[in-house]
Amino acid sequence: MQRELDTLTAMVAGDAEAFGLWVAGVESSVRQSLRPFAALVDTEAVLQEAFLRVWQVVPRFTHDGQKNALLRFTVTCARNLAVSELRRAAPSSEELEVLEQRLSLESHFAPVTPDPFLREAIAECRRKLPKQPGLALEQRLTSNGVDDDSVLAARVSMSLNTFLQNFTRARRFLAECLKKAGVDLERELAP
Amino acid sequence: MTPEETLLLEQVTSAHRERSVDGQVKSHPAWHDLDRAGRLEAFEETLKLRKLEAALDERGLSTTVKALLARLERA
Repeated sequence: MQRELDTLTAMVAGDAEAFGLWVAGVESSVRQSLRPFAALVDTEAVLQEAFLRVWQVVPRFTHDGQKNALLRFTVTCARNLAVSELRRAAPSSEELEVLEQRLSLESHFAPVTPDPFLREAIAECRRKLPKQPGLALEQRLTSNGVDDDSVLAARVSMSLNTFLQNFTRARRFLAECLKKAGVDLERELAP
Repeated sequence: MTPEETLLLEQVTSAHRERSVDGQVKSHPAWHDLDRAGRLEAFEETLKLRKLEAALDERGLSTTVKALLARLERA
């Protein structure tokens, strides 16, 4: 709880690094809270917009004294944004009903702490990646989400399609390698 | 999933998103070309990918977090 309050104080003071580290801990939870919207809105865009808005309003945020206050606020903000986005797409009443049911089922969210074993297993698998898929993965990791895939592909002299195919190979290779190492990503991501 | 759909899915798993003229984060064009099953799969793959990215980063930051921080730097 004290750590959460310290983070909040740093963020109010404009500490972007503190904000980044806080987002790193809660990103997975907020993303999973958007699962009911996954077929209806681009959740990556909604998620980023929600975090940017939280950063903007954090100086006016009042902690309610309960654990994970800012995370709960962010989940609400993200879901409200998703609903706004959804309204523009004019969903059917059936889609809305299913959505409401799913939202009422999912209400517990908590930060995720890094697992050192998982970190080592993933790094080991990355070292084993074939060259071209490794290049595609590296481009994505080092671009910081700033550049479009067509820019990343040009940097490694690949066509966009070849770059994306290599990225698919990288993703599948890592998943297979982790499975062999006894890492179940689905279980790791379970709330 | 067809090879074409897989290419769309890979684009959607990127953290890169353009901004609209009013500064809002825009949805990825490829996301609109995916069908319902493709969108659900893209969501699950993105979830796993961000976990992998965070684990590969010294500070535990995924490309989504880095994209956010880059936005703040540019703002």
